[in-house]
Order: sequence, then C-alpha cells, then structure tokens
Amino acid sequence: MKKTILVVDDFASIRNFVCETLEKKGYHTIGAVNGNEAYQIVIKNTVHLVLSDYNMPECTGLELLKKIKNNPETAKIPVIFLTTEASPEKMRNAKEAGLSGWIKKPYRAETFFAQIENAITHG
Amino acid sequence: MDNNQKRFVEDALDLLNELDEGLMQLEANPIATAPLEQVFRTLHTLKGGANMFGFEHIGELAHQIETLYDLVRQGTLQVSDGLISLTLQAFDTVRDILQEKDITKMRGQEALQYHLQAALDFLQNTLPSSTYALEESSEGRLQKDILATILVRVVPAIKITEEGNHPLVFIVQDIAALGASKQHISKNESGEIDHWAIIIATTVRPAELETYFIFVEGECTFELHHLGVGNLLEDEKLHQAAEDYFHQVIDLEQLKTEAGKFAEHLPFSDKLLDGETEAETVPNRKIVNDTIIKVSKRKIDDLLNWISELIILQSRLSDINSRINSTDFNEVTEQLLLVTNHLRDTSLEIGLVPIETLVTKFKRLVRDLSKSMGKKVNFLSEGADTEMDKDVIEIMGEPIMHIIRNAIDHGIETPEERKAAGKSEHGTVKIKAFNSSAYINIIISDDGRGIHKENIVRKAIAQGLVSSEAALNDEDIYQLIFHAGLSTASQVSEISGRGVGMDVVKQKIHELRGNISIKSQPEIGTAFHIKLPLSRSIIEGLLVNVAETRYVIPLNMVDRIDRIPYQALERQNYVNKTVVVNEEPLSVLSIREEFHHDHQPPKTSDIISVTLEGIKKGIAVDRIEGKIQAVLKPLSEVYQQQDFIVGSTILGDGSLALVLDPQRIFNLSKS
Repeated sequence: MKKTILVVDDFASIRNFVCETLEKKGYHTIGAVNGNEAYQIVIKNTVHLVLSDYNMPECTGLELLKKIKNNPETAKIPVIFLTTEASPEKMRNAKEAGLSGWIKKPYRAETFFAQIENAITHG
Repeated sequence: MDNNQKRFVEDALDLLNELDEGLMQLEANPIATAPLEQVFRTLHTLKGGANMFGFEHIGELAHQIETLYDLVRQGTLQVSDGLISLTLQAFDTVRDILQEKDITKMRGQEALQYHLQAALDFLQNTLPSSTYALEESSEGRLQKDILATILVRVVPAIKITEEGNHPLVFIVQDIAALGASKQHISKNESGEIDHWAIIIATTVRPAELETYFIFVEGECTFELHHLGVGNLLEDEKLHQAAEDYFHQVIDLEQLKTEAGKFAEHLPFSDKLLDGETEAETVPNRKIVNDTIIKVSKRKIDDLLNWISELIILQSRLSDINSRINSTDFNEVTEQLLLVTNHLRDTSLEIGLVPIETLVTKFKRLVRDLSKSMGKKVNFLSEGADTEMDKDVIEIMGEPIMHIIRNAIDHGIETPEERKAAGKSEHGTVKIKAFNSSAYINIIISDDGRGIHKENIVRKAIAQGLVSSEAALNDEDIYQLIFHAGLSTASQVSEISGRGVGMDVVKQKIHELRGNISIKSQPEIGTAFHIKLPLSRSIIEGLLVNVAETRYVIPLNMVDRIDRIPYQALERQNYVNKTVVVNEEPLSVLSIREEFHHDHQPPKTSDIISVTLEGIKKGIAVDRIEGKIQAVLKPLSEVYQQQDFIVGSTILGDGSLALVLDPQRIFNLSKS
C-alpha cells in the first residue's frame, strides 16, 4: 500500500514541488497550507508521515508538532521539518517535542528520501 | 526554466507584493511587531524558495536582509527610513530579475551584488562601535566568510553499510559537500562502517555542523576538531598528513601539530548559539479556511469560452422549447436554464482577483514620488478586496498609476503651500473601489489644489483644440484633459510628463467598455471616477427590435421602460425636441431615425430610459422583445471603428444582434 505523506508549507511552489517529488517516488501526498489545516487532516486521515515547514502563518511547525505529539491517537506519526531555519536551539526544542528529523532547504534528493524512508520505517 | 521554477516565480512575485505591503505598514508604524514579523517571515520564505529552485543569489540577498530584520526583532537595530528604502530597492531589483524572460539574465549575479553590499554596509555603518554586533557577526550568520579547516569524526553506534540507505550515510556526504574536503571511510571485514573521518575547509560554523547530527544522536557519536584558519587542504603537506591520519600512521595530536595550529576542542556551541528568539509570528495573511490553488489563465479562458457557447446553446434550446408543446421537455429546459445560470455566475467569479495587489503597488508609488518631490502625502485605500478580472487589473495598472502620479505632481501642493492655504501639511491621495450592479467603480481622489478650468480652456484654445467662442460645460472642459498633448502644469516636471498619457488612460478604459469622469473643485481637490464592466464577455441585456433588426441594450443602464404612440416621437417640426414620457420631458434618440428612417413606422414605440452621466435620456425602439444573456463576440476589424457597437451576440434562433453602447450612441448623434 502506498504510504501517505502530509506536506505542510504555506508557500505553494515549494509545497507542490515537494508533493510532486514524493509522488514520483511512489508516495501518496496531501498538501496543507498551515499547521491548523494540517492537524485537521492528520486527525481525519491515515497519515504515515508529516513533512512540515517551520515558519508558517496561523500555526507554526512547532505548534503542529506539539499538537500531534500530545494527541495519543496521532502521537506515533513521525514528523519531519523541511525548512530553511537552522537555529540549533530550535532544532533541540523540536527534538525534545518529538521531532524525527530536520531537513534543510535546499536539500539533496538522496538525503531527503533516506530521512523520509527512515522515519516512516522506524518512526 | 522548468515548470516548478515558473510557478515559483509567480508565487515569489506575490510574496514580493506582500513584502512591500509589510514594509509600508512597518514604515507607518516602526514599532509594531505584526508587520515586522510579516516582513521577516516573507523574507524567510523567499529565501527558502529561491534556494530550492536554483536562484541562490536571490536567496543570499534575502538572507542578508533577513539578518537585518532579525536584529530589529532582537532590539539591536531600529526600523529606519534607510532600512526600509534599502529593502524596497533591493527587492525591486529582484522583482525585475524575476520578470526577465531569459533564464541566464535571471541568474545574473551582478544586479544583486550592489544590494548585497548595501545590506552589509548598512549593518557595518549602523553598528560600528557595538561590540555586541561585531561578536554577533563574526560568529553569527552575517560573516560566513571565515574559512576554517575542521576534522569531523563520526562513529556509528549501529551497524550500517555504505549502501545501507541510512540517513547517517547521507548526512556525512552532506557535510563533506559543505566545502573542499577529503574523507575516509574505515570499515570492518563485513563491510560495516567503523567510522568516517572528514577533513573539510568550510565557512559553516561548528555550531551549525553539529546540528546535522541532532536527529541521529542515538545512532552515532561525533567529534569536531578545529585544525586551523583557512583552507589547509591547499597545502600538499597536509594532504599527506591527512592520508597518514586516515590510515592510522599518525594520531590526531600529530595531525593537529602538522596542521600547524593547536585547535581547541569543539564543541563550544554554547558560546555560539544564535541569538534568535522563538518566532511567535502573528502574520496578517488572509488564509480563510479555504484552500487556494493556482490554475493557468489559459485554462480559465478556455472554460469561460465553453460556458459562453453553452449559454448560446441554452438560449436556442429555450427558443425551441417555446415552440414545442411538451411538459417534460419544458421542465428539463427550465432546469437546464437554472443550472446554466449558476454555472455562468460561478465561472465569472473564477477569473476575479482582489485589486489588493494593485493597491500595494500604488502605495509604493505614492511613497517614492512624494519623497522625491518633497511633498507629504498619505495614501488611503478602501475596498481593496473588491474583485476584478485579472486581465483588467493588469490593463488598469498603468492608467491608474498615471492618475495617481498626476495627483501628486499637479494636485497635491507642497507642505508650505498647504499650510498657507490653511490645510494640513499632509495631502491625501485616496483610492476607493466598490461594486455597483454590473460595474466596478474605482475612484481616485486627492485633496490638492483642484483643476483650474480656466487654465485648461486657455491652453486648449491656444493649441487650437477648441474655438474661443465655444460654450463649454464643466464636463466638456474636464474631457479636454484627456486630449493628447494638453498639459496645464506651467512647469512640466519629469514625473508626470507633458500630458502624454491622459489620452492613453482614456483609451485603455474605453477598450474595456468603461468610462471615466472627473469632478473637481478648486482648492478642495479632484476625483477621477472610473467605471468598468464586471464581465468582459457576458452581459445581461434588453433585446429590442427596430425595423426587424435586433439590438441589445445593456440592462445595467436601463432605468425604466414606457410605451408611447409613435406620433409623439415625431418632433422634427418643433423647437422643443423633448418627448414627454411618464409625464416628464425626455431627450429621446430614436434608433429608427438614426439607422432605419426609410422603413414604415410602427404604431407604438417603446422608450428605454437610461441615465447617462447624471442626465436622464431615452432611447426609442419599435418594441422590446425581452431580457437576454448576451455572450459578447467581438466584431471584425472593419466594424471596430464603430465604437457605439460594443460587439455582437448570437441569439437562440441563430441570428445575430448588435450590442449597443447607449453613451456612445448619444455622442454619435450629438456630433
């Protein structure tokens, strides 16, 4: 069965690009423009991985991460941030909140897919 | 340029408008956090997107400027005119670059080099003595150009092979790619990796290097050793030492000695932590629980085209239905009519976008112009969420800009003049947009010195546009402004030029079937009122018949309809040509007399009352057949000179009707 990845980014060209890239690799993708929308999708659908931007309007990536991890029903879904943000402090905080990986934009395709595959397999 | 890049460019241009908007707000209110966060976030998104889609030079510029705003967020730097101007100018250039057709021009580094330097200089000049800032910048994100050679040693805690597709394998490769590097993988007999050793010359700070391992901490241990400043790999001797170290001929200490410098043990990340604070962003973007997708304009045009064909077919079907006596058929036809109408209304809305983007541009214009002319001008906008056809917005951009330019150049006085006239020093330019029936209204007004009619008339007479005896009403005089080559400014400024343009403004508006009128009072101000039809392709109209020829009169202009005996129209022999309709005298134009005077007249005539520029007038036709949805089809070039005909439409029975423009038909008969 195809694994479903939720791609959260308020910037449409990146969201579409990431979705297309993942679809080509055989994943099923859903797009969301902010954390709130993403969370609604997560609780209503089967999502195997959340790939989210950090800085977004309405609800940031960190807020989304906390929501997902605080809900026992969704806590097991791995979350990866895909972002230009590179502050070690933020990365540490996110890790403590249960983040599985941090991919920096721009990313290398191999690293990108390896991290995603790893997160989906190992949680 | 691939499709992803094209889409990025589109989105980035939107982002730049948002950035402008944020900067304007920030300038108006330098201590507000919401616009600051918006600016910061927009820069951040732009940086990420640009880097991702191969526009690294734009990403770099966005990064440098983002850094400045980050300092503002931290309270180290204050919002100033200089900072805002620098940002606006930099991203104006970015906007130009993104609009280049040629990808190599888009990639050109030179254009942005100036702005990049300006951003760096700005930082240096603003914070020359502040040790805090220097510390920040030497280790921080600003001066990334301190090159150092570092040894990275990574020991996996799990069993992995080079082919294992484990993230760690790629993380090590990512690190090796951060600069000139030399690496060695040490494996055991079964091919499992024992450790990696990478010597890399990079500008990336150790603290940042560490972040690569945050999410694989459980799966490996790593060490960073500073070997020296600069790229030590350029030295042949170090290459040899590195090989020796890799093959355990020498140990780490000997390598360091070889490197000529003693390195402190890293990490010292505590000292180097970014001063960034958690971004609690409160951006004012309007994403109302509605997902927005981008669709190519061509697809929408296609869709609209097919829907207009559907409407034509629908009216033919209704026509056939009226002749066939079948309840079932009748029911289906009526339902189809309902659905078609809904479809039409919805489809018309698809192509509409808020004029907000345009308004942001104007804000910029007002700001820049008033600065350069030494005038103080506030720009107000109302109804920026009013929606218009995207094409129309694009066509109207220039004309409206021209009017605003004139308003600032000719309308608004200098602060001294305003003070002397008892006005506030700040002038106001206002743009107001709103819908009324099937029209979009845009009013551009200023509270400047107003238009002096005498000046225009004098000038027009001097240029031979009107004769000195001509009796001109206000409307006639204001229309002279749209005449090519007429400018009333005694000193022509380089900004609004020589009156070239107002004629183009009018022409553009007419091409869109709209009109423009002027109201002005000396010393109080001027208002330009632009009225544009909502839809460019479908209009509701009255289908009328004159001498067996059918015409359509746009319904939005119609006030009332009356039937009078035909004789009442025949007033050729009277001095008073007005016709009494509904107990009121009305100036009536008979289409029969204009175009079909040699036909046998009917017994009665239907008078359609319309209001044109505030005056009630009547159009006489033989009879009104009913209300229709007319799908406008352009006429061939031969007829395009006949501006009183807006276009043609195909009726249910397959015949053709001409769509009239009441305003112009009156102008025609006047001349």
